[in-house]
Amino acid sequence: MTPPDWSVWDVLLTSAIETLQTTIAGTFLGALFAYPLGVLAASNWTPIWVHLPIKAFMAFVRSIPLLLLALLFVSAVGLGPFPGVLALAVHSVGVLGRFVAEEIEATDPKPLLALQGTGASSLQIIQHGLIPQVLPQMVAHLAIRFEMNLRDSTILGLVGAGGLGFYVFLYVKQFQWQKSGVLVLAIIALVFAGEFAAWQVRKRLI
Amino acid sequence: MSKEVVIQIEDARVEMEGRTILSLEHLEVSRGERVAIIGNSGSGKTTLMRMLKGYVPCQKGKVVVMGDVFPIKDTHKMKTHHRHIGMIHQHFDLIGRETVWQNVYHGRLGYVSLLKSMLGICSQRDLQICAQAIHEVHLEDKQRRFARTLSGGEQQRVAIARALAQEPTILLADEPVSSLDPALAEDIMDLLVSVCDAYKLTLIMSLHLPELARKYADRILAMKNGKIMWDGSSDSLSNDRISEIYEFMGTNGVVNGNGTRASRSAFTWPYGWQGQPLPGG
Ligand SMILES: Nc1ncnc2c1ncn2[C@@H]1O[C@H](COP(=O)(O)OP(=O)(O)OP(=O)(O)O)[C@@H](O)[C@H]1O
Ligand SMILES: [Mg+2]
Repeated sequence: MTPPDWSVWDVLLTSAIETLQTTIAGTFLGALFAYPLGVLAASNWTPIWVHLPIKAFMAFVRSIPLLLLALLFVSAVGLGPFPGVLALAVHSVGVLGRFVAEEIEATDPKPLLALQGTGASSLQIIQHGLIPQVLPQMVAHLAIRFEMNLRDSTILGLVGAGGLGFYVFLYVKQFQWQKSGVLVLAIIALVFAGEFAAWQVRKRLI
Repeated sequence: MSKEVVIQIEDARVEMEGRTILSLEHLEVSRGERVAIIGNSGSGKTTLMRMLKGYVPCQKGKVVVMGDVFPIKDTHKMKTHHRHIGMIHQHFDLIGRETVWQNVYHGRLGYVSLLKSMLGICSQRDLQICAQAIHEVHLEDKQRRFARTLSGGEQQRVAIARALAQEPTILLADEPVSSLDPALAEDIMDLLVSVCDAYKLTLIMSLHLPELARKYADRILAMKNGKIMWDGSSDSLSNDRISEIYEFMGTNGVVNGNGTRASRSAFTWPYGWQGQPLPGG
């Protein structure tokens, strides 16, 4: 792999940005669906015929390996970062939604009951009682999810779903070890930076 | 002066898990009364309040609160009913990560539309009512603090202000001072009684200590096994009478039993699914 070949700088930059964008889009798209689904999946908030199927669906989604999901989406919508976004989003729904549900199940119900007792409606109880109580943990989970999605999205390229991984794979196939080595270093740096960012977010919450 | 009856109960019965938890032959409370409920742990004090609030259904008999005949099926009517009845709890039950002001504002939620509360739009009137409530409990200088950073006594004052913001007619206080130390307990009781006078509220409170009941209530109900064993003015409750009642109850004061169960019951989706058995709940 040595000496590193820095001529890939341009490729590195554009694909690193693509990886980052894929991660951000995938994580937030996933979160968009995960939060409401998570509320519906909390067993103390919904009847069993609502939360059980949703829990099962999320468990099913979690059980599909991310690369397989990406492969499915590549075959459905074609090559590029878009299937990567979808794969990350679907996977995040499974993982984040479960955290949301568990967090809600673990919150102290008494203050919520007190809010109900003022005549607040269900959505008002969610807004003024539930969200303030679970928000810090929600943000912490989101940060961790982002960090893990960043790591995962660096290899999405292996199945043609864009980002750094695609070029690593490309150069490896062409035996251009010096170039792929640089990209692997970039992956490590990126993942490390993501972890640092997530850690900062969590540190501020506690 | 003709008395306006705000609570009327005839032969009401509350059953849970096949057990009769409350069985009340007759109870009437008039507007402006100050009623204390005493009784052992597990005697049904909390359950009585939860029934009045509409949280637990009564299976039998006639219950009329503020003209609302139980059971209240309509969710809109239930909302109005909830607004009429303020409640404070032993453990305050505030939203810890919201400010004092926000917690008091929660008392207004029953009056504002979802959209307005989403957008954080407060009417002049809401602001005024909250400011007045905060003023009543002397917490003007702590309005911006997170509720969880306050002391127990201060938190209970916030809870009182939240109940006042609701503009209720009846205030239920379930062991309002049981988790506070005795000196503070008297302060809170003084405050509670004075705001109930100021707002002309009917106060129903459950209290551990007969002395507190005698000092702060006009009327005392003693409960045992879900029944009202004694109902009379607090003047007529002499020390001898108290020991008689407690002897009758079998223990001296409030001990053992698993009376925390009622207060620990899980929160369920408030409107719609009420009454559905919950898995593991
Ligand atoms: N949700 C419930 N399901 C079944 N039993 C219940 C429920 N809630 C309360 N009980 C039972 O009803 C009885 C009365 O309980 P309640 O909480 O009303 O007593 P309490 O007088 O408030 O006691 P404490 O002084 O300990 O608060 C108890 O025996 C309790 O176990
Ligand atoms: Mg109780």
